[in-house]
Amino acid sequence: MNRRQFLQKGVLYSALSSLYASTLGRIPALALNSSQGPGKYDLVAVRGGEVVEMYRRAMQEMGGMERYIKPGQRVALKPNASWDVPPERAANTNPELMAAIVEDCLKAGAGSVFAFDHTCDNWERSYANSGVAEAVRAAGGQMLHANMERDYTEVAIPGAKRLTKAKIYQRLLDADVFINIPVLKHHASTTVTIAMKNLMGVVWDRRFWHRNDLHQCIADFCLWRRPDLNIVDAYLVMTQNGPRGTSTADLTRMRSMLVSSDIVAVDAAGAMLLGHEPGNIAHLRIGDEMKVGRIRLEDLHIRRLVL
Amino acid sequence: MGNKHWKKIRIALSLVIFFTLLMMFLGIGLWPLNRMEDLFLRLQLIPSILRFMALFFSASALGFLLVILLTALFGRVYCSSICPLGTLQDIVIALAGRFKGRKGRRFHFTSNRKNILRYSIMGLCILLWLGGSLFLVNLLDPFSNFGKISVSLLQPAYIWVHNQLVFTLEGMDLFWLFPLSMHFLPWNVMAVSVVIMLTVVVMASWRGRLFCNTICPAGSALGLIGNRPLYRIRFSETACTGCRRCEWVCKAECLDSRNRHVDHSRCINCFNCFASCPQGGIGYAYSLGTKAKRHTPQAQNTLQAVDSPQDGGNLPAGSSATTGQSTQAENRPQTGNSQQPARVENEKRLFLLGAAGSLLAIPFLTRSSMAQRGQGGGRGHGRRTDDEHIVPASKPGMIPIEQQYPSTPPGSISHDHFTNHCVACYLCVSACPTKVIVPSFYAFGLKGFMQPRMDFHRSFCNYDCVRCTEVCPTGAITRQSEEEKQLIQIGVVRFLVESCIVTVDGTDCGACSEHCPTKAVQMVPYRDGLFIPEIIPSLCVGCGACEFACPTEPYKAIYVHGRKVHRKARMIEDRGGPREDDTDDFPF
Repeated sequence: MNRRQFLQKGVLYSALSSLYASTLGRIPALALNSSQGPGKYDLVAVRGGEVVEMYRRAMQEMGGMERYIKPGQRVALKPNASWDVPPERAANTNPELMAAIVEDCLKAGAGSVFAFDHTCDNWERSYANSGVAEAVRAAGGQMLHANMERDYTEVAIPGAKRLTKAKIYQRLLDADVFINIPVLKHHASTTVTIAMKNLMGVVWDRRFWHRNDLHQCIADFCLWRRPDLNIVDAYLVMTQNGPRGTSTADLTRMRSMLVSSDIVAVDAAGAMLLGHEPGNIAHLRIGDEMKVGRIRLEDLHIRRLVL
Repeated sequence: MGNKHWKKIRIALSLVIFFTLLMMFLGIGLWPLNRMEDLFLRLQLIPSILRFMALFFSASALGFLLVILLTALFGRVYCSSICPLGTLQDIVIALAGRFKGRKGRRFHFTSNRKNILRYSIMGLCILLWLGGSLFLVNLLDPFSNFGKISVSLLQPAYIWVHNQLVFTLEGMDLFWLFPLSMHFLPWNVMAVSVVIMLTVVVMASWRGRLFCNTICPAGSALGLIGNRPLYRIRFSETACTGCRRCEWVCKAECLDSRNRHVDHSRCINCFNCFASCPQGGIGYAYSLGTKAKRHTPQAQNTLQAVDSPQDGGNLPAGSSATTGQSTQAENRPQTGNSQQPARVENEKRLFLLGAAGSLLAIPFLTRSSMAQRGQGGGRGHGRRTDDEHIVPASKPGMIPIEQQYPSTPPGSISHDHFTNHCVACYLCVSACPTKVIVPSFYAFGLKGFMQPRMDFHRSFCNYDCVRCTEVCPTGAITRQSEEEKQLIQIGVVRFLVESCIVTVDGTDCGACSEHCPTKAVQMVPYRDGLFIPEIIPSLCVGCGACEFACPTEPYKAIYVHGRKVHRKARMIEDRGGPREDDTDDFPF
């Protein structure tokens, strides 16, 4: 498949899926995965366990990684590894979780698994001190650098209002499966940073987003490609001074995890964990309006698990 | 007497020191060389002297005394073995020799010591330094020049080669290595480095160590101290046949085999002559008690040898200038051009006096004093000076930033401390992981010509990093622990609300607050559910993350105003670890 075919198919599928999401998918009774049971939920929320334990239970309820990865496929993981702070400060995705996901992907038959982040702090220090790089490598994945403009390719984003094009990480463009693994955090200007906001780390020019209506750009970007899976680490949650945090006093141990293929729904659930009404957060509201995903959790089939 | 091993030892030692320092400047931590970095840095003459001044007689700054002692005992071994620019010249000499014929490769003794030139340059360096400006030292110090060449020119070349390798491997789906980011230094700094490198290369391939014996202030100072070393290289009365082979390999052009005389003020102790002599006719000899044996022109000098090294040895700075003059006056008849010693002496005095008078003004030409003078129209970097043309706030970032002092790295105490001790070797520039430390050209005026500053348009200072404080050889940046560094306020944040995206466009942004490690920039509720930055200067460390991240153009809406004297920032309150939330229910 060359790039043109890829883009054409991408546009076609996203049009079809948004059509589906906006019509049939909106009615729970008619949604494809309306019936109960593993692999049939829109969102799985787990609470009360340790990180890896919660992850394994959640994936079990989602139907296992095999549902998302076909043998030999190239899997891209996008953790948050943006900050030069240690894991106990929870500004980055939990490294143990990363290791478990890489193992899972390889077990599901992935041809290769790589993780990357276009970091905010110095990338070498962030990769190292977040613990993410080592965890990914130890589990058999690749941790790729994403700090050079030459690794980014400009792509049009059809349907976007402000972010009509963006330079996206080339190896993500080439990937078959895209798994988004943010950490739930407070954010000083966008109120929350979860799955949608985490995708800022796959583009080259973040400043453009800040300059051109940040919330709109965050929602716009999801029109390019929605991750196949969003796994939200909400074990240790930064509830203030986000997204970098100043000390462990900014954290609350919520022992939670959210998994969904719907990036807006998973963010809505995350926002509620932080005590916010999802409709008050502009990028979630816009995402729902642009049919990126569904903000109304009461319309979804949610599997709630307390360990 | 003659010992052929001296040269081999010299070459081995010089290469170890050269490659250790080169690797450090290129940012390659190569074991076991990286274990010796500190040791070799401490032995660099001018950085060590400045370190002595910067750290108030710290033990880690006594390297220069060792060098002086070595020089007084054995001559300028520093120049042949310890100085990395010296070794670089040796490499150039060796390479250039490959393109020359057997005869073209030969050096020849010259009696012209260029004393006026070299001691004037050294004297001016010292005068300016005493006057408070390292202008000339920054341009001429050999260690600094080696650093400039390495960081400006060799490092980009190394990174290019490294990255080609990385990209080739990546093409084969191998991700063993990470590429390195290429950061070119400002063009004017590069240009100066190119000029320095060309000067060194041309002089070395033309006349060997001519640079060390004319321009280099460290070479001149050591030439004074090492003029009469205790153990000195000497021709053997009996073994020397006057065949001149030693002259042909003498890079300093200081061996006069006809008169069997060694000019120790120029001899850099490379020991090439030892190896060249088939008779063992030249070698080391203990000099005390052998005075009487010397040739007549020497007798005078040698008699002085006993007392004058002390004189120069104690203070290479101030008193050595006078030593140099007297030495030179007495040496002159024997050097050949013997016509007018008295007149030269006078001319030299006049010249020094005039130069001193005019150049003493340079220290006062600081950037800030100039900026203050023109405060009405002066606007920081001189980017836009017409303040009649302040554009109305129709778009974010259209308001020019008021005068902005440059920031110096954490640990540099103040602009004065920094500019008084930095030799502009750019080791910090190379070591900085975020590359926020960038050589300035004129940001500190002539007083701190070419010294590095923090450039928050390129990057910002990593909150948990103290790398620059660890590598600085001169103590211009004093060593800090992570905890100490996190409380140093090198500058303070300023916010132009009229320029901010939130005000002008009515959309959320918060890039500044996002990057702020201390939350000196916080987002507070504004109209229509938006958030706008609010600054708490007491918490600010001046890392520049906000300024770097601010997306407004062409001017930033938030920026760091460098502190001329660093202050202490307020500590972030840490009210203890994470709160526990044991709710076993979901809010949705």
